[in-house]
Amino acid sequence: MTTLQTLQDLLKANFDLEPERLNPEAKLEELDIDSLAVVEVLFVVEDQFKVTVPSEPLARQASLKTIGELVAYIDRLVAEQHPVAAGEERI
Amino acid sequence: MRRVAVTGIGVISPLGNDVGEFFGGLVSGRSGIGRLTGTAAGRRGAQWTTPAPTHIGGAVTFDPSRHFAAPRLRMLDRVSQFALAAADQAVRAARIAWADVDRDRIGVFLGTGMGGAETTDDGYYTLYAERSERTKPFSVLMAMTNAAASWIGIEYGLTGPNLTFSTACSSSAVAIGEAAQRIRSGEADIMLAGGSEAPLSFGTLVAWDALKTLASEDVADPSASCKPFAKDRTGLVLAEGAAILVLEEWQHALTRGAHIHAEVAGYGLYTDAVHITRPTVNGQASAMQRALSAAALQPEDIGYINAHGTATLANDVVETCAIRQVFGKDADRVPVSSTKSMHGHLLGAAGAIEFAAAVLAMERRILPPTINLRIADPECDLDYVPGQARTGVEPRAVMSNSFAFGGTNAVLIARSVERA
Repeated sequence: MTTLQTLQDLLKANFDLEPERLNPEAKLEELDIDSLAVVEVLFVVEDQFKVTVPSEPLARQASLKTIGELVAYIDRLVAEQHPVAAGEERI
Repeated sequence: MRRVAVTGIGVISPLGNDVGEFFGGLVSGRSGIGRLTGTAAGRRGAQWTTPAPTHIGGAVTFDPSRHFAAPRLRMLDRVSQFALAAADQAVRAARIAWADVDRDRIGVFLGTGMGGAETTDDGYYTLYAERSERTKPFSVLMAMTNAAASWIGIEYGLTGPNLTFSTACSSSAVAIGEAAQRIRSGEADIMLAGGSEAPLSFGTLVAWDALKTLASEDVADPSASCKPFAKDRTGLVLAEGAAILVLEEWQHALTRGAHIHAEVAGYGLYTDAVHITRPTVNGQASAMQRALSAAALQPEDIGYINAHGTATLANDVVETCAIRQVFGKDADRVPVSSTKSMHGHLLGAAGAIEFAAAVLAMERRILPPTINLRIADPECDLDYVPGQARTGVEPRAVMSNSFAFGGTNAVLIARSVERA
């Protein structure tokens, strides 16, 4: 399963957002995911992807504007924190 | 002089979640107290085996999903859920047409003793019992004491003053008294004022029990565990809920044709400044005296007192003495009841829900009883309206007493519309 699919499932289960709306270009703002809600999403992301969202780059989190950027951010966290798993995913 | 009208009341209580059910329960002498069940009161799966004070409470039956959509609900502690639901009732009852009012001149004053205690309890469970290193993202926003008042302000876009008072068990009496002052002074035209409390989580119950202030369970009838002014009283029973009143400048209310329940006529504050828990006769009496003076009323004008009446050993004797001191010969005439016998002690919401009870008693001309008062205490020798509601009364003014750990004694007086 790709990161996008996992994220879609997670947003459907936790925030009742339909996967069809969650394409990479979809703007978080238009999905009613404001900066505070991003924190909530990342909380669930931590569980799902077994990563720790660092406390430090709040500005970076706040700069996430689209589903695609959120996917890229999760991929980066996974790559940094689970290098092997991330490699397997690519194969 | 600007006067203050009560034009809306909203109640979430162990006796029901609207004014009709709440007051109907009171005058029928029904208890909303009982054995606690469910997650709100348990040690998460651990079964209680013996009767203990922490088993007993005044719980509210409340389905949050009927009031709030899921994304919003995730940000609301139970205390804020109650406050928003009570505020919704109050503003509907007051029939406020939002297009016609100046929201810069409408504020929110709320009382709460413990704020989002359930969120705090949940957070500790997660950290200590589940050994997690994270708490829910919104823990701070849910637990902070001013959350409930803030949510009400946000709900209606009220840009007037938004303050939270935390003076333990007198919190919401203080909130109402201070809100009335803002209207009187000309700073506001309408105030949503009251209190909310949701203390029936395991940690909070145990902490209260540790003070040895909670009532023992009445083994024969757990719903009768709170026995104010009775010889066999053993302590207070914690309860949850909220009460919000719409307070409105008199002319403002008349101009828009609002129904006026009563006038907020007097507010008296007096601080014990002696001991963190022990009440004083002088402190309580002085607060009553100041409220009478503020209302320009005499003891003979008061037709009903809703007592603080916690059913602790200390309070009920001290309050009886204080009422005797202030009322003199009228002390033997004035009916006094503790509705806590039925709805329990709502802590930071107690002052508001009891003031609401007193206002409704005056308006509907029926006094709620003190239930479970079967064995008289020689030291508590007033007319406590034992057992059954009293009809055939026409109170022209009523008093509501709220005393507190920390010593902030607050007394409110309402005057009937006919009299006003």
